[in-house]
Amino acid sequence: MGVTNQALPSGYQLLNYRIDRQISRGGFSIVYRAFDDAGAPVAIKEYLPSSLVLRTDGDIVRASSAENLTSFRYGMKCFFEEGRALAKINHPNVVRVLNFFRANETVYMVMRYERGRTLQQQIQLRQDQMSERLVRHVFMHLLNGLREVHTHKLLHLDIKPANVYLRTDGSPVLLDFGAARQTLTTSRPKLAPMYTPGFAAPEQYREPDRLGPWTDVYGIGASMFACLAAFAPQAADARLNEDHLVSAKKIWAGAYSDNVLEVIDWCLRLDPLERPQSVFALQKAIREIAPRKRKLTFLDNLKKRLFTEVM
Amino acid sequence: MRFTIFQESLKGQRKINQDRLAYTYSRDTLLLVVADGMGGHAGGEIAAQIAVRLFIERFQQEAKPTLKNPLKFLQDSMLRAHQALGSYAEQFSMLETPRTTCVACIVQSNYAYWAHVGDSRLYLFRQGGLIGQTKDHSKVQYLVDQGLIGAHEVVNHPDRNKIFSCLGGLVEPVIDLSRRTPLRNGDLIVMCTDGLWSVYPQEEIARALTGAPILKSLPVLMREAEVRGGAEGDNLSLIAVRWGPETLTDEPTTITETMSLGEFQTEIDRTLTLTDRKGMQRDLTDDEIERAIAEIQATIKRYKT
Repeated sequence: MGVTNQALPSGYQLLNYRIDRQISRGGFSIVYRAFDDAGAPVAIKEYLPSSLVLRTDGDIVRASSAENLTSFRYGMKCFFEEGRALAKINHPNVVRVLNFFRANETVYMVMRYERGRTLQQQIQLRQDQMSERLVRHVFMHLLNGLREVHTHKLLHLDIKPANVYLRTDGSPVLLDFGAARQTLTTSRPKLAPMYTPGFAAPEQYREPDRLGPWTDVYGIGASMFACLAAFAPQAADARLNEDHLVSAKKIWAGAYSDNVLEVIDWCLRLDPLERPQSVFALQKAIREIAPRKRKLTFLDNLKKRLFTEVM
Repeated sequence: MRFTIFQESLKGQRKINQDRLAYTYSRDTLLLVVADGMGGHAGGEIAAQIAVRLFIERFQQEAKPTLKNPLKFLQDSMLRAHQALGSYAEQFSMLETPRTTCVACIVQSNYAYWAHVGDSRLYLFRQGGLIGQTKDHSKVQYLVDQGLIGAHEVVNHPDRNKIFSCLGGLVEPVIDLSRRTPLRNGDLIVMCTDGLWSVYPQEEIARALTGAPILKSLPVLMREAEVRGGAEGDNLSLIAVRWGPETLTDEPTTITETMSLGEFQTEIDRTLTLTDRKGMQRDLTDDEIERAIAEIQATIKRYKT
């Protein structure tokens, strides 16, 4: 066992929030459940990269060397990117940021606390296969959230069932933008890539210059696949060498509608150009809207978008 | 003051973004500024940045909390920026002065005032109709005025990038000043660089914004404009303000009545930060961390429902 960063203890007072317990720990952060002044629960994400051991005791984060400090500060930029991007997004299917502050020589992001379980837990808990109705419901709403994310020039880049939260009412929330990049503006992602085998698209391994909305679309397809199979599809890097992935249409023929199975296979194409190029295109396919004769102009699309959002 | 504001700058297909934009406001006065640094000249982005910074700094010195003479402020700031570019070139022994276009707008006591140099534009829309706009200081605009070419020929004309007035040029800039223009609730001020207006006619901008929350419709419009720019797409930038209290759902309004005298809120497009002159990455300073946090908190407040 190596030395790991110490989490803040239960009962710790962080500004006007009281830490209750650690919820999860990732490569760059620890997430806690806490209570605000009014006693309402919130989720607080603490920037604390696990590759740098910075806190073995107490609360203050200390870099052990100048080099460490540079890496620490450098990684903080990504945390800010996440905060900046999420702050602009106020959508029921995307986790909402409530506050952002500096303390203990690191930075914290306070998010709305959601009750429920992750899609991953949902998949693991269920004995029987997930119904088509539930799959459609969850992903249509999730795609509404993802569309909003893309509208803000942000790619999520780590879409997987563990990062989708299902509220008790069944509505999904997209979580953990720790891997998110503003790749739609910068020419190249700046930090070492992070990805989850099975859910990451092939271009995330090999061609970071080709990341785009279609990269998140691959993650959506892989997550839908996992809902049906209860396991992740073959990892994309392995698929590039030898593709063993059997098409959803073959595996589940008859059990689910052709439409859903075709959509999954379409999202999981290895060539980014062969996948749906936008969330909108994907949603259209799931809705099975027959192609209209006239090509939609940008304004039609805009009106439609606004209309669906108002509804 | 109550208004909704949006600003964004995209790089298009260019290697660097030479557009700069910012807004700042005191309790009673709002300043918007857009500059498009000229490529082909040394340090276009430096020129744009200097111009934008200079406007912001002068505003914060003089708007306490209102400007005595907004039009004079705009004219003086343009001239000062022009001079500052000359001094900068001298200081760093540059062979050529960095150059930029600039359009700036002041809103105070329900009146708008604007000034421009070059071909970055301001449009003023009321109920979907255009009621005010800047006239480019460009060769093609001159040709249109002389009746030598039609307005529709501007976008594809071989000389479309030639402008006869800019900040940092060899001669004093030609500065056009607007009149004192009364604003009504719901009026839209849109300021943009040529990367946007060359692919997005003003009628279309008006249509996209009428009746739609600007914080929702503008990101979409910007994406679409970037696509239209194609493989050769220029940098494109836009600031838009919908004046008055909230009129549409989903449109967070900035309210300045609660601000104290002498307080300023500023948002400079973040293309300005986090890389040094060589474009190298470096770690954050304490000051930058504080600024990043303040910016995120302001955004959270602005998008709160």
